[in-house]
Amino acid sequence: MGAILGYPIYNLVRISLEKYGLFELIRHKGQYIGLHNFGLVLHDPVFWHTLLRTVVFTIANVGLTIGIGTLIALLLVRVSTLVRILVMAGLVLVWSMPQVVAVQVWDWMTNFQNGVVNYVLTELRVGNYFQHDWYATTFSQLSLVTALIVWEGLPFVAITVYAALSQVPADLVEAAEIDGAKPWRVFFDITVPIVKPVLLILTSLSILWDFGVFTQPFLLIGQPHLHPGNYLMGVYLYEEGYLKTDFGRGAAISILMLLIVAAMSVYYVRRMVKIGDVD
Amino acid sequence: MTARTARRTLWNAVGVLLFVVMVFPVFWMVSTAFKPDDQIVSLTPTWLSLHPTLVHFGDAIHKPFFWVDVRNSLIVVCVTVALAMTLAFLAAVALAKYRFTGRKLFIALVIGIQMLPGAGLIIPLYVVLAKYHQVNVLSGVIITYLTAVLPFSVWTLRGFILGIPKDLEEAAMVDGSTRLGAFVKILLPLVAPGLVATSVFAFISTWNEYIFARTLLNDQSRQTLTVWLSYFLGTSRHTDWGALMAASTLTAIPVVIFFLLIQRKIAFGLTAGAVRG
Repeated sequence: MGAILGYPIYNLVRISLEKYGLFELIRHKGQYIGLHNFGLVLHDPVFWHTLLRTVVFTIANVGLTIGIGTLIALLLVRVSTLVRILVMAGLVLVWSMPQVVAVQVWDWMTNFQNGVVNYVLTELRVGNYFQHDWYATTFSQLSLVTALIVWEGLPFVAITVYAALSQVPADLVEAAEIDGAKPWRVFFDITVPIVKPVLLILTSLSILWDFGVFTQPFLLIGQPHLHPGNYLMGVYLYEEGYLKTDFGRGAAISILMLLIVAAMSVYYVRRMVKIGDVD
Repeated sequence: MTARTARRTLWNAVGVLLFVVMVFPVFWMVSTAFKPDDQIVSLTPTWLSLHPTLVHFGDAIHKPFFWVDVRNSLIVVCVTVALAMTLAFLAAVALAKYRFTGRKLFIALVIGIQMLPGAGLIIPLYVVLAKYHQVNVLSGVIITYLTAVLPFSVWTLRGFILGIPKDLEEAAMVDGSTRLGAFVKILLPLVAPGLVATSVFAFISTWNEYIFARTLLNDQSRQTLTVWLSYFLGTSRHTDWGALMAASTLTAIPVVIFFLLIQRKIAFGLTAGAVRG
């Protein structure tokens, strides 16, 4: 199995050191050019701008998903059983939506002419959103993508954190309260330590997922509106490497991206190996 | 006591509001799918049509390539799941039951591969599959999905196998059963729920997969349903929102059904280890 998984990686490295375009694809043979592709990518301002944009985007997405997800989990502890079942069912329904389907629905909801979002915002007196074009600016486009990703990501975070919260021993909380501990002391000294490992794993997972995101920005922003000014790493890679059939340079970008992801996932992988290695 | 009740009522209200906001996009998809066209393009939206129509569903399934791509999706999903489960089960048993050198590395590899962003792998996959003439054919996509699904399946199945008490298997062996006998009689029935859960998860992730299918399959007659759906917008300048939402609903239905079946198990599988650490 290691071979099945290792083979694409080996090829990735090989292609990144070669001139590999459409001509080479047909001949099935690239031309070795050393680190030239990496030089091209690292001297390309688009790469650095995209990287910075993706980092900011990832921080925003992860922060919102984990933050709101945890709040929802805390809410779930406080509501009545009936409401909890209702919210849980809603979360699971959202969780089960395929990405491409979710994109189409959000595209329809934010349509400038008949989009229900514009109507609701105008009716709620948030401002005049009549025929507001959500796809006009890069910031607005990426905010929409963020909203979509957070919406899709919330159920997993909320349900997982809730599961962890329900492991907090009730008698421990009760004892602390009887001893006169303030609610915030109970929260930070009892609840947080128990939930922390789960939150750390969720955060590292979310960072990895959101950094490499492709489907949502690619489809929601839409191909005609994609340009170097609103690329995220996944889209950048697709457009520059695959669409322009410059596989050598694309492979170099992939390797740089995978190295960043690998560096970020060290914590998560080490932790999971540790958990997985106990019998 | 009244303050406590009031607070509970407040939290309940927030909960209901949250439910409405979260579920709204899904509701809106289904609601639009059943709405007559004049209500869809009206400037004042109709929340729930009093005159539901099935016309959009008819439009959606009569679009070119719908049935062909449904069939493609089903072939890809069924073959991938069947192969993945067989291979993953054997790998998971080896990983859970027997110590072997490099076990730690194997686990790291399984998890590490799972973490790699799909976008980062399209180029080597495309080039390698092109070399073996596996681009634009379903078998190429199946191979790709196998590499994506296997690590996760091995990982989850291993969790299920570890959950079975070793004494049980040993007891069966003491009672005169062979290793194979113990395996078939004791291990297999106990792992069956895990096998079902994992295969449903594999089903969902392959049915939903987009980026590999998009890059590896070029002909419209060879694409999967998600790719078909993603091209829906581009077919004309004026988007047929009713048909698009009907098509989206149809794409989502199998996933929703299967997801509801296994949700508890998967949530458990993902968190059990995390909570324990």
